[in-house]
Amino acid sequence: MTWLIKVIMFVCIVPTVILMYMLGFSRNPGRKKMILGVRDNPKFHEGEGGKKFDAIVDSARKGGLIITAAVVIMSIIMMFMPVNGTTLLTWILLVFALFLVVVPYGKGNTELKNLKKELGITKSGVTYTDITNTNVVHALKLPWIFLPNALALIGTVAAVLIDLGVIGLDVASEKYALTLMSISFLFVGVIMVPIAILMDNTRNMVISRDSNINANYSRAKKKTWADLFIAMSWANALCLIAYDIVLVFTSSETAVLAGTVLYSAVIMAIVIIGVITQQQVERRYDRDTELELQDDDDNWILGLFYYNPNDTRLNVEKRLGYGGTVNVAHPAGKVIMIISAVIIIGSIVFLIYMGATGQFDESVMINKP
Amino acid sequence: MIIRIDEYSDVPIYMQIRNQIVMGISSGELKGGEQLPTVRSLALEIGINTMTVSKTYQLLKQEGYIMTDRKNGARVRDNIAQSGVISEENKTELRRIVSESRLSGVSKETLKKLIDEFY
Repeated sequence: MTWLIKVIMFVCIVPTVILMYMLGFSRNPGRKKMILGVRDNPKFHEGEGGKKFDAIVDSARKGGLIITAAVVIMSIIMMFMPVNGTTLLTWILLVFALFLVVVPYGKGNTELKNLKKELGITKSGVTYTDITNTNVVHALKLPWIFLPNALALIGTVAAVLIDLGVIGLDVASEKYALTLMSISFLFVGVIMVPIAILMDNTRNMVISRDSNINANYSRAKKKTWADLFIAMSWANALCLIAYDIVLVFTSSETAVLAGTVLYSAVIMAIVIIGVITQQQVERRYDRDTELELQDDDDNWILGLFYYNPNDTRLNVEKRLGYGGTVNVAHPAGKVIMIISAVIIIGSIVFLIYMGATGQFDESVMINKP
Repeated sequence: MIIRIDEYSDVPIYMQIRNQIVMGISSGELKGGEQLPTVRSLALEIGINTMTVSKTYQLLKQEGYIMTDRKNGARVRDNIAQSGVISEENKTELRRIVSESRLSGVSKETLKKLIDEFY
């Protein structure tokens, strides 16, 4: 049964790290609008500047590849290790090791920005806005994201009522296991709603003098985001209902873990499809791009964190990966960043504490059949 | 219609927006009765303060290019009052452009062609 835990961790970690590497370190940097979170420039591809540019991009790619390979190899090795407290902690730390992929990315980003200064590339300070499309380009149909969450809410209420004995069912699983599982899934589903709305309200991109092209481009991008969040919400709600049913009739951990493997695989597949669709949209509109994008490279700390006090927007499109991020200079952005940092650092510290005090070993012993 | 904002320009942002909306109305890109974005949504789209956009709309309203009301927001006026005279401010601006053109060796014919093109 413990091999299922390993499969879950493998399914979550390996595709994620490969995806992060592929999105962050392009194979053909000359063909991309952004390289390591810095806007491409003709000066990057000529003379001495070109050589320096190639060296920076190669070095970052190598760094990213080494970390990616290390995480993948480590995950494969861990598949052959027995599940105990130490290996469980190692798996969890491998999840956090995913963040290491951004180290060569951030380093490369800083070096490219320095190269820009060296080559005398100054930012134009020009922004384009299409007033025809302001506030009219949306792709998210709210009922489609509310519906799965309503279903998840019904499932959670049912779980609470079953656990409290209001609904007279003999539950096979432990007391309140049903409620805890349902609330966790409901929480994930609910948190996706504001993120989906924020992504649907991101600024419309202006790539052409033709408003129709701009509207279609922005709509296509927002549609991929909307579809991703809707698909994830449905997967989440259906999984919650399936767990509710399974836990009523069986307390088999194998069934629960097998469900988790399936759930992780579905979520991964949704993300991969989303990324591929987004890349197809970018390729489709590449030939229609005639206007220079705003040069705000200096506002991107390490190419990861957007800090622009002169920009009143809260949410902007990410430079690494897929989706959006917040403007850290915005008051709400500061709060979101602080909360995220506290959760991530707190989780790492807590897990290391659990591992050091042998609590993982106890947990594995208790769960052994 | 595309608005181009240059943050390094000497012209204030509210004036840059105002000038381009006026040019849009004149060229026909913005038609009479056409709805303009709300102050809030335009400010969010450009990433500037709502006060800046509000100032632009107030100026455009004062000059008679747009009309605003609580229910419908801002719209381009159907019938813009035509006084038939060039304002003193614009005359001074035109004089500056003509002077600079003459000093740069631009012929009167080229300037006239440009006026014909833009008119």
